[in-house]
Amino acid sequence: MVNYFNTGDGCQVLPIDIGHKEYIGLISPDTAFWALVKKSQLSRALTDSSLLRKYRDKQKAFCDEMNTLRFRLKPSAVYFNPTDLCNLNCAYCYIPEHLRKKGKHMHIRKLFKALAILKVYFTSTLPNGQKPQVIFHGAEPLLNRKAVFSAIDKFRRDFRFGVQTNATLLDAEAIEFLTSRGISIGLSLDGHTPEIADRLRRAWNNKGVFQKVIEALNRLRGYDNYSVICTVTKENMASQVKMIEFLHRMKVPTCMLNPVRCTLSGGRKHKPLDADAAKYYFKALDRAHQLYQKTGRKLVVANFANVLIAIIAPLARRLMCDISPCGGGRCFFAVSSNGDLFPCSEFIGIKKFKGGNIFRDNISDALETVQFKSVTQRRIENIEPCCRCAVRHFCGSPCPAEASEMNGSIETRGAFCELYAKQVRYALHLIADGKENAYLWDNWDKNTFTTFKMNEL
Amino acid sequence: MEKKGRRAKKCVIACRKKCKANGTGLSHYVLSDKK
Repeated sequence: MVNYFNTGDGCQVLPIDIGHKEYIGLISPDTAFWALVKKSQLSRALTDSSLLRKYRDKQKAFCDEMNTLRFRLKPSAVYFNPTDLCNLNCAYCYIPEHLRKKGKHMHIRKLFKALAILKVYFTSTLPNGQKPQVIFHGAEPLLNRKAVFSAIDKFRRDFRFGVQTNATLLDAEAIEFLTSRGISIGLSLDGHTPEIADRLRRAWNNKGVFQKVIEALNRLRGYDNYSVICTVTKENMASQVKMIEFLHRMKVPTCMLNPVRCTLSGGRKHKPLDADAAKYYFKALDRAHQLYQKTGRKLVVANFANVLIAIIAPLARRLMCDISPCGGGRCFFAVSSNGDLFPCSEFIGIKKFKGGNIFRDNISDALETVQFKSVTQRRIENIEPCCRCAVRHFCGSPCPAEASEMNGSIETRGAFCELYAKQVRYALHLIADGKENAYLWDNWDKNTFTTFKMNEL
Repeated sequence: MEKKGRRAKKCVIACRKKCKANGTGLSHYVLSDKK
């Protein structure tokens, strides 16, 4: 069989510049297959080598993998807002202000009822032994603490629980409750000093909350099941290196440096330029690597680690934003404080994406509504210019909520095209240098097996 | 910790691993454990 590429039935292979002195990238976009080839060997690699022959042998299997990842998964997690209310008024929040200010708690009886419904649903959809996840999310879930903690104790055998919080209510008692039960905790902090952290994250009385978060971080020291989300805006992007140094010093095991979601106008107002955000982001990743080299202790930047994993082992990715369709409505869904069902918490507040109500509608039916389908069938192949982009399955053009509200259509690209493309190049550059494992969780690949490996042409 | 020094200069670097897909994280939250 001939190994011609880019014509007829031949495989598609696109070269990409990864900014490396010696290596150039080759990517087959539909299957997310990639190879880094010595520049001096590029011609041979494409015309007279075993590379394309071996890839052709695997092409169907890789295509099947991507189809599994993109179209055959079932929800196994729920992002659950037990209250509309928040004690903070962060400038970029994706939940509308009137909800955060004047919304309601979900009553404890309703919360129990919703979890009972979810338990029945997942029992019928997930394999025996697979525990679904429920992540209490916000707004600020700990404002409804009694209900949340009671629910965790009542349903501990049925779900793996997580809590995403602004940390202002994570007092010693709350931390003891959560850590003694092994609950995964995510908290938010946007800077290493109050001046930076409090720029956009403030209470309704305009006071910053940096000190409260630091108290919580100190209490969490030694617990390995927590992470810190830093939302990157033009207000704090230049301090990402300092933030990494700070979090490493605080012995935080995992963080995320997430570019701000531009779903609502507040986020858009603080959006950094892609090139600027990328410059500081890569410096921060470099610094995390230096600190690992120096101390032997990793601070994993999870959003970047996930891109590396998406490249090396597509099915092992943990975050489902940067794949198309994204995980919204198909790997997870969101429940609002009145029981409304949305594909993702990013859509809470955008009524046109409501697919039902957990107390009135069948969850399976909600997943099939046009509201959910518009998200679960958002394919990158239908989005310009992503349909022509070599790294489309390492990016996914997030996020549909953002695209819908920012660009007027869900089938447009997200807010950070240039940043994402640069991020993939940076990741491939690290792989060329053999550094990738320094950026990944230890033993991240313990449940994986190798299906393709090649170092000689 | 990674070994010091760069990866030995190979003509090509290509690797792919496979496992069961079960990602559920999003940019608002990442599960830190992987039980």
